[in-house]
Amino acid sequence: MTCFDRSALVATVLFAGLGLSSAAMAQGPELNDPIEPVNRAFFGLNDVLDTVAFKPIATVWNTVLPKPVRTGVGNAFGNLDDVFIGANHLLQGRGKDAMTDFSRVLVNTTVGIGGLIDVASTQNLEKGEGDFGQTLGVWGAGPGFYLVLPLLGPSTARDTVGRAARVASDPRTYMTPAWSWGLVGLEFVQIKADNVDNANLIDASSLDKYAFTRNLYLQRRAAIVQSGREAAGAR
Amino acid sequence: MLRCVFSFCLMFACMAPAQAQNASAEEQVRRMAAEVTAQVRKNPELLNSPSQLAALVQQRLMPHFDFGRITQIAMGRNWPKTSGGEQGQVTSEFSKLLVRTYSNALANLRDLDVQVRDSRSNSASDVTVRTQMIGRAKPVAIDYTLTNASGGWRVYDVSVEGVSLVTAYRDEFNGVVSSSGVSGLIAVLKQKNAK
Repeated sequence: MTCFDRSALVATVLFAGLGLSSAAMAQGPELNDPIEPVNRAFFGLNDVLDTVAFKPIATVWNTVLPKPVRTGVGNAFGNLDDVFIGANHLLQGRGKDAMTDFSRVLVNTTVGIGGLIDVASTQNLEKGEGDFGQTLGVWGAGPGFYLVLPLLGPSTARDTVGRAARVASDPRTYMTPAWSWGLVGLEFVQIKADNVDNANLIDASSLDKYAFTRNLYLQRRAAIVQSGREAAGAR
Repeated sequence: MLRCVFSFCLMFACMAPAQAQNASAEEQVRRMAAEVTAQVRKNPELLNSPSQLAALVQQRLMPHFDFGRITQIAMGRNWPKTSGGEQGQVTSEFSKLLVRTYSNALANLRDLDVQVRDSRSNSASDVTVRTQMIGRAKPVAIDYTLTNASGGWRVYDVSVEGVSLVTAYRDEFNGVVSSSGVSGLIAVLKQKNAK
């Protein structure tokens, strides 16, 4: 989810073109969406849920909670995420990047009071980008077909496997249901709240929100895998 | 040996102008960023007024964008099949949508500090300038691709963190054109702009 939300941010800033030669442009990337009608149905469902439930909740969250609290919640989940980012960098053979990730966890968990403050980012330990979908991509797996997951949104066959691996290795999966759902729900709301502006921008900019979102997601994931490959090659 | 020297010279002959043109493309991007940043710093209220911001973007940035080319890429294979009149209409409506998108994005982002990192030349008159926007926890990578047509460098591609928006628009355009034709696309764009 985090990755896509980043891609939504990305989507917001820009507006043009394609850095490829005209020959490549004419063909474009292969569009692999064999279950588009099903995907559109889930996309529609997610969109309705966003409108009637998550956007209002996110707006309340943003209005009621002071910014340091919101940032703290985001940082705490980010700190947990750094563990997985580090593990994936290791799997991709990026030892140096993994060192940075684990140093971040160490610094933020101690000096940053259990991850509430992202001290590491001010100490030249930049947050990395990594997940198991990316790792599979770096290992050579293509994205497979496009998939819209209920609640979770855009994905692909490969990234769904990656997400399942993440769920299986996340400590929250093994807590009591109340804690587990509570913490997952909290992160969900926090991410939605972080991205209200971006979601509004996509609404205002797109002609066919489904196709627009699909393309942003696929481009962003391809870029993440590519940067992973480059980093793995340059180690 | 002689051949080697010759190819060496040839290499430099090709490289020197490439470096010069990279520098001038980078300069263009720097100028654009500085212009908008200066305006917003002078009048921070701009960020809260969508219409004023759109006017600023229209006035200061848009002259440096090649909307004909942008629209052509977004239209993809449908472009050559479209009449000149309709091409003009799509271009003008799409550019309105992009101006709005860009000014909305500026309002969301707020911090406008853009640093040029480096550039890469794609062909004789085509350069991609890589920049990053700083001020957030993690810098945002923004790449501008420019072409040097008559009258200086003009941008025809902006991609952020590896995502190019015109590519995203191309899928959408394709979908709308195949279901309701170019006239349908113009209608949808007009409708979107009227909101």
